[in-house]
Amino acid sequence: MKNKLIELTDVSKSFDGNMVLDEINLYIRENEFLTLLGPSGCGKTTTLRILGGFEQPDTGRVFFDGKDITSLPPNKRQLNTVFQKYALFPHMTIAENIAFGLKIRKKPQSYINDKIRYALKLVNLEGTEDRYPDVLSGGQQQRIAIARAIVNEPKVLLLDEPLGALDLKLRQSMQYELMRLKRELGITFVYVTHDQEEALTMSDTIVVMNQGYIQQIGTPESIYNEPQNAFVADFIGDSNIVDGIMVQDRLVEIFGTQFPCVDVGFGTNRPVDVVIRPEDLELTSPEKGQIRGRVRSLIFKGVHYEMEIHTNAYDWLVHSTKMAEVGSEVGLTVDPFNIQIMNKPASEDEAAPEPEE
Amino acid sequence: MSKILKRIYMALILILLYAPIVTLIVLSFNSSRSRARWGGFTLQWYHDLFQDSEIMRAFYTTLTVALLASVIATLIGTLAAIGIQHMHRKSRAFFMGVTNIPMVNSEIVMGVSLMLLFIIGRIEFGFGTILLAHITFDIPYVILSVLPKLKQTNRSTYEAALDLGAAPFFAFRKTILPDIMPGIVSGFMMAFTMSLDDFVVTYFTKGPGVDTLSTKIYAEVRKGIKPEIYALSTILFLSVLILLMLINFTPSKNSRKELIKDEKYLKKHGRKRIFTKRLILGRAIPALLIIVVSAGGIYYQAEASVSSDNELVVYNWGEYMDPGVITDFEKETGIHVIYEEFETNEIMYPKIRSGAVSYDLVCPSDYMIRKMIDNNLLQPINKDHIPNLKNIGSLYLKTAEQYDPGNQYSIPYCWGTVGILYNKKLVDEPVDSWSILWETKYKDNILMQDSVRDAFAVALKYLGYSLNSTNIRELREAEKLLQDQKPLVQAYVIDQVRDKMIGGEAALGVIYSGEAIYTVKENPDLAYAIPKEGSNVWIDGWCIPKDAKHVENAEKFLNYLCRPDVALKNFDYIGYSTPNTAARDLIEDEDLRNSEVAFPDEETLSRCETMSYLGPEAEEIYNSLWNQVKSS
Amino acid sequence: MKKNAELKWLAAPYGVWAAGFIIIPLLMIFYYAFTNQETGAFTFANFSEVFTASTMKAFFLAFGLALLSTLICLVLAYPLAMILSKMHVSRSSFIVFLFILPMWMNFLLRTFAWQTLLEKNGVINTVLGFFHLPAQSIINTPGAIILGMVYNFLPFMILPIYNSLSKLDRELINAARDLGANNVQTFMNVTLPLTVPGILSGITMVFIPALTTFVISDLLGGGKILLIGNMIEQEFKQLNNWNVGSAMSMLLMIFLVISMIISAKTDTDAGAAF
Repeated sequence: MKNKLIELTDVSKSFDGNMVLDEINLYIRENEFLTLLGPSGCGKTTTLRILGGFEQPDTGRVFFDGKDITSLPPNKRQLNTVFQKYALFPHMTIAENIAFGLKIRKKPQSYINDKIRYALKLVNLEGTEDRYPDVLSGGQQQRIAIARAIVNEPKVLLLDEPLGALDLKLRQSMQYELMRLKRELGITFVYVTHDQEEALTMSDTIVVMNQGYIQQIGTPESIYNEPQNAFVADFIGDSNIVDGIMVQDRLVEIFGTQFPCVDVGFGTNRPVDVVIRPEDLELTSPEKGQIRGRVRSLIFKGVHYEMEIHTNAYDWLVHSTKMAEVGSEVGLTVDPFNIQIMNKPASEDEAAPEPEE
Repeated sequence: MSKILKRIYMALILILLYAPIVTLIVLSFNSSRSRARWGGFTLQWYHDLFQDSEIMRAFYTTLTVALLASVIATLIGTLAAIGIQHMHRKSRAFFMGVTNIPMVNSEIVMGVSLMLLFIIGRIEFGFGTILLAHITFDIPYVILSVLPKLKQTNRSTYEAALDLGAAPFFAFRKTILPDIMPGIVSGFMMAFTMSLDDFVVTYFTKGPGVDTLSTKIYAEVRKGIKPEIYALSTILFLSVLILLMLINFTPSKNSRKELIKDEKYLKKHGRKRIFTKRLILGRAIPALLIIVVSAGGIYYQAEASVSSDNELVVYNWGEYMDPGVITDFEKETGIHVIYEEFETNEIMYPKIRSGAVSYDLVCPSDYMIRKMIDNNLLQPINKDHIPNLKNIGSLYLKTAEQYDPGNQYSIPYCWGTVGILYNKKLVDEPVDSWSILWETKYKDNILMQDSVRDAFAVALKYLGYSLNSTNIRELREAEKLLQDQKPLVQAYVIDQVRDKMIGGEAALGVIYSGEAIYTVKENPDLAYAIPKEGSNVWIDGWCIPKDAKHVENAEKFLNYLCRPDVALKNFDYIGYSTPNTAARDLIEDEDLRNSEVAFPDEETLSRCETMSYLGPEAEEIYNSLWNQVKSS
Repeated sequence: MKKNAELKWLAAPYGVWAAGFIIIPLLMIFYYAFTNQETGAFTFANFSEVFTASTMKAFFLAFGLALLSTLICLVLAYPLAMILSKMHVSRSSFIVFLFILPMWMNFLLRTFAWQTLLEKNGVINTVLGFFHLPAQSIINTPGAIILGMVYNFLPFMILPIYNSLSKLDRELINAARDLGANNVQTFMNVTLPLTVPGILSGITMVFIPALTTFVISDLLGGGKILLIGNMIEQEFKQLNNWNVGSAMSMLLMIFLVISMIISAKTDTDAGAAF
């Protein structure tokens, strides 16, 4: 296991009496691609800004390589940030932008020139040295922002929703670009996004946050397949999240129907949250189904159909390669392995995603 | 720590900005007329303010001009901005260039250029010229604040509206207008503020009898500001403060952040209350303002212009007539008097000569009367229409013949001498010679007159020459002397000598005898002396300019002024010696009737000289020498 | 766009107005500047009056005082604008309002009030005397005029700088800090160059009125100090020589236009230089 590079202990922060971070504990390992994922207002950007030194935590400490850097100003930290809206200096050329950090450190001009060339090559933007940022496209500005950060050879690169302003196509190609960069540079990336797909594609570790709390930390696979609570399940991919009662080990009751499952240790007759991914619901004839319902809507999605199956208790979301006509009656079955049982959250608030600000 | 430093810094700058304002507010409660002394607390001036129709009229003129100018400018400017927005690049650049002229050009050049235009265009100076000038400098502010909003406007909504069959004006009103409204409002506000505070442009484009607060204050600054002005300014300042605070602390819908606050506020107070509050601030207060302004304007204007035919335009020295005399005359005859003031003969002369303004009566000094006669600017006075002329002492009429042979063109109004006013506490040696004004120990304690002839008269007399000298060598000598004196002089002033001497600001000042009587009364430490080298004896006389429009009224007024009781009333008010012997006999106070200052003896007078008109060449020499002194 | 081309005619009233009250009056100045007072014949003689020692002295004095006042305004206003722009939004709008408020009291009166403050027996000296400090004689000196200029025009410097500072993206400052710049380096490399437009418009708004004023020198200079504004005012209002006055105005105008062009050029150059 690689050693911990950054560690946050009991970090809290509030603005105008609103708690934005509530006693966060988190560590980031060397060379890791770690993503802070969550809806807006969850505290992910604040966490990043505390790492960058732009905000001071109200309580708690930040350690870098074992040293306390909580009150160290940004310019004394060995990390660099790629800002959400790039924050390129509009009055400097691309070359001057990239050279900024190096000039501040009084590096020799020949070294600076080499670095500019190297960085522009790395982000595939050779030949733009003498242009000004405002003539570049959003994607190009984004890459310049990255180039400007990496020439300083930071140990950690902080990226604050760097792809947020780009269109879908560009976003996808930039994702690969970022992964390539990460490989070539061999440094730690801390990445902030609200886009779960982006997080799943690129990260080694995902930290799901909501309302100032960390909801789950894990690999993309574990976050997707084993969400620890309804919020995570709902936020990562589409899900059917329903109330259930754990009758006993390996048996759960959902809307009056009992389903075999593989989970144990929840006790007996305990209310739980049950997560079933839409692609895990199998379409059958009404007679064979564990659940019976009517098709309410049908959308062709290319690889699969997306259907809403209406029952008296719940409208199930189903992804299936088979299709059924709207209005027809169908049955649904689910493999016991694909039923995910979770404890109900202690408080209602914790799970409820906050609306957009 | 740095927070404290920041606070201190901000506080210091605020002190700098507010110190004069606090001073003015304090002065508005000062019972002494002189700003140099604190005479105790009073609300007198607030009471007097509303009785003073001159100040109130100036105030309402200011508001009316500002309101009219900014409304018209907003209209023209908004249309222009829309037009410019739809122009091709070249014409747009040209229009923007023109719009920037008044912004980049200095106020003074703009004022001067408009003044020349009005003179050449034979547009009579008055309210109209001020309004035209104000609109001119207001429009660019409107254009420059509307244009950026227009650029942000979504053009397609307007076109969509047209497409859906809306008439162009309707489409404009529904789509573009709401978008550019903030720009229009801020343009209007800026224009209004600029108009309200303008002095320079108004100064060059105003006519007689029309004053804005700024020009009124400027005229008064030279002779001492009436405390009523402080009271008015205090009221104005406080009302703006309260109004702006109200507006500032009402949620506005400008920023997103405030919108959220707004929503919370709405929940708390209910939509209706917000609505009423908006209504009050957005509609009611401005409406109220307009009503007050127009009502007040009508009231004071009505008082001002009973009938435009039956009027009389008088151009007199500052503080040179009891306002009661004018009111009494108006009551007695029904003639409306438009009263304007000037500070020096030299300021008065070009106004008469330019002919842009036609005055009916003017009160120049002796030498200036001669100059005006020579330049054919005056008309003979029909003495048959002025029976009270008999009250004027023959001695004075005879002296007046020096500049006005046969007393054809003028009637003596006041006379006096020029001498040195000194503070007995600061000067212990006897004051009997002009030389004391060159004593280095009185450096920065000397006040000189800020007018060519008076200043040269002092120097020439000190040198033993005639104060009417046209000898270039003598004049150069005098100039040299004045140059030498300049480092010792605290200030060149006109009527301010009075206030400054009362306040003990200076030890010595050159002053007219009439002013001396008043100052000695206010501050018993002061005394007046006519130096042994001799001085100037002067007579100011009433004349009727050639292009006077109301000669008959002018004659009535002259006859009225020569009545002994009126002349006495005037004498009591202004303190200058009257040539009206009948009036002098009526003076009750024996000390005053026989005062050396007011009525010096024959021996002293024999050492004194009147000024005479020296002709254009000599005048030019005087002016250029004086300019050299002033600008050295 | 084409569809609404007729909208450009909405500018017609303004066009007429501008021709009548902006352009023609300026031509008047040119006309008077080149004609003889008595005969109206074409002449250059008026300019020889302008290039006399006394006028030139008044001009250079005005130039020097205006330059110094502008500089003082800049030095005072910039830190203040920075403090204001870093304040809490709702509070800063109140504070900004505090700095504009004085402009609602007549500026002649405010300037005049400085006489009462600065005089020999004025408020300031009374206060100094109370603390047994030596009295200062400020009134009627160039110092008093500079004070008057700074006092009157400071808000015109604060506002544009404040505006350009509050428009400045905070993230750019963070970016500079992030890239290793300390406070001073951040200010010199990012904040200052990006607020150059605000500084320039502040300079314009202070320098022009300061250079051309005649009121401030009149009220606080005791008639001993003549600036170019006073010279022009005298020519028109007292000496009645409109031709020489026009010649002075014309040269002043040309000077202003040239300095504006130069400063506009520095603006674009400054953008490129950093």
